Amino acid sequence: MSVLEIKDLHVRINDPEDQASREILKGVNLTLNTGETHAIMGPNGTGKSTLAETIMGNPSYEVTQGDVLIDGRSLIKLPVDERARAGLFLAMQYPVEIKGITNLEFMRAAINARRADDDQMSIRDFLAELDKNLAFLNMSESMARRYLNEGFSGGEKKRNEILQLMMIKPKFAMLDEIDSGLDIDALQVVAKGVNSMAAPDFGTLIITHYQRLLNYIKPDFVHVMMDGRIVKTGDAQLAIKLEDEGYAGLRDELGIKANLVDDDVTEAKSDDH
Amino acid sequence: MTISNAPSWFQALQERARQLYPTLALPDFKRFNYRDWQLDDPAMQPPAALTPLASDDQHFNQQAITYGSAPLQVNLTAEMRDAGVVVEDFATAFTKHGDLLQQYLMTKAVAVDEDRLTAFNLANLQHGLLVYVPENVQLTTPLQLLHLQNSTTASSDFGHVLIVAGRHSQVKVLQQLETRGTHANQFHLITEVVALANSHVTFTGLDMLSQQTTAYLNRRGYLGTDARIDWSIGVFNNGNTIADFDSDLRGHGSDAEVKVVALSGGDQRQCIDTRVTNYAPHSTGNIAQRGVILGRSELIFNGIGKIIKGAHGAHADQENRVLMLSDQAHGDANPILLIDENDVLAGHAASVGRVDEHQMYYLMSRGIPKKMAQRLVIRGFLGDVLSQLPSEELRERMVQVIEGKLKNELAD
Repeated sequence: MSVLEIKDLHVRINDPEDQASREILKGVNLTLNTGETHAIMGPNGTGKSTLAETIMGNPSYEVTQGDVLIDGRSLIKLPVDERARAGLFLAMQYPVEIKGITNLEFMRAAINARRADDDQMSIRDFLAELDKNLAFLNMSESMARRYLNEGFSGGEKKRNEILQLMMIKPKFAMLDEIDSGLDIDALQVVAKGVNSMAAPDFGTLIITHYQRLLNYIKPDFVHVMMDGRIVKTGDAQLAIKLEDEGYAGLRDELGIKANLVDDDVTEAKSDDH
Repeated sequence: MTISNAPSWFQALQERARQLYPTLALPDFKRFNYRDWQLDDPAMQPPAALTPLASDDQHFNQQAITYGSAPLQVNLTAEMRDAGVVVEDFATAFTKHGDLLQQYLMTKAVAVDEDRLTAFNLANLQHGLLVYVPENVQLTTPLQLLHLQNSTTASSDFGHVLIVAGRHSQVKVLQQLETRGTHANQFHLITEVVALANSHVTFTGLDMLSQQTTAYLNRRGYLGTDARIDWSIGVFNNGNTIADFDSDLRGHGSDAEVKVVALSGGDQRQCIDTRVTNYAPHSTGNIAQRGVILGRSELIFNGIGKIIKGAHGAHADQENRVLMLSDQAHGDANPILLIDENDVLAGHAASVGRVDEHQMYYLMSRGIPKKMAQRLVIRGFLGDVLSQLPSEELRERMVQVIEGKLKNELAD
């Protein structure tokens, strides 16, 4: 049993274009125990991905206040690889393509990085585990021998994130819009993979816009983020309510003066032209 | 220095080189200054070392081992002996195959008076190796040549390798350069590959000279009608290097495929000129180079594609890419195209870049430590050239050498 705590987290990003820095997270508090599934919902641009990337340790985000801890140990000063080895995993919204490194050698390196030099996973054990998980996710064996994410379709990339999750077996997995760009069949496969991980020593943080994913991965807690804070927490019913009423309803109900950023996005786009 | 048994034609050639070299210009390596290396200074050339090879160096699975000016060790396979393949040092070859030497030594590929270093090499020549694969002989196993630089004392090494592939012959050659000892010495080696009509030479170079060695490496191919040379060269020296890897497509339909992978680290400075010249119609020359620069080192790739007027239907393509791992590294990838014929297909691509931070973040987010992630990114960068190498075994070998060198360089 482990616990991931986010305490009063404030985060800025520095925009290299106009030298300005913007506060994205304005004091996030969240406690996630293993054995639990949490979902974070909220409109675009409200800081959901920033939260996940900051917990993981993406160097583009600057923490100005607050802390992230696993079992009481602060991670905030640790580089990303040490956080990963401490038990964090982030299924990324936009997995990177790397030509020249096979998926297979990448995953083996990731697993063995967690093990002592005299306890490296043998190729045979690794391949047995890999084949089992590939079959479970309806992925062809050739996917493992292809270069890392190179030329993968959007759906293949998302499946590949889940494959890594199943191979690495972290304590806490954050899934950042794992449902985006997936058709219903692929969504079910991805959900099946995540659900297979369910265990008393595994916790999940799901980030999504849509309630749809939560039909397949049942959350114990649903948090709504707006304007850099968690503004409401409930159970699975909250997601269903949001799906019916939209975020604007909740914003007005809570009296929050946040822009729903989709409006901004539209404006920003029209500025470009 | 002179080689025993040298006939008068060779003595005359060497004398000419001695007369000429002070009058000739040093070879021009674009955007690279190596004048203070004193590669052409006789005062910098102590006599050749003659210590015998240590016994633990003698169990190599090589067909020929040169060790400074010590006698050549030859160990041909039964297949090579039966086929009449010749592997001899020049002293032996002057007596037994003088006609071959006289016909091909610095007559087809490299000219004596080409520049100061080609002449200087011959003027100071200490050892030579002749490889001759007779007409129609197609060898199945590779011919492995190991050149050990003797740096157990202060001594310079001037060597020449002449490989002649007869018509319709096929041969794979692996040429490996290593240093024994820790003295700071110069190493000069010219390797000529004369590929006669319809022959196919697969040439692999693995350069692993020591940090104390300053090297001048010249490898040159001459291609006859429909001949082909596949060059795969790994420049993994730890010291300063100028390297000239050239192919002259003299024969109609000839084809040179050149792959170069290079690593620079520490304070090392390396410049690699890779040139293919299409003299003949319907000839093809492709260059692919990948270089990685670590530490405070320098690596310059000059890719030179020349198409001579009349070489209609020629193809020439080159891709030179350099990856820099530190702010103090210096690198360049310069495509130089000199085309005098209209009816050709020629292209080039070049890039000088740094490690992609997104790739590093992704790898590290899976728990892979920074240095290993860097090694993976480098492997990935080199991967598309490595994956085109002619054999799996060779690929593994190169990967091992690269990993070894990266382990040293990234261990800060």
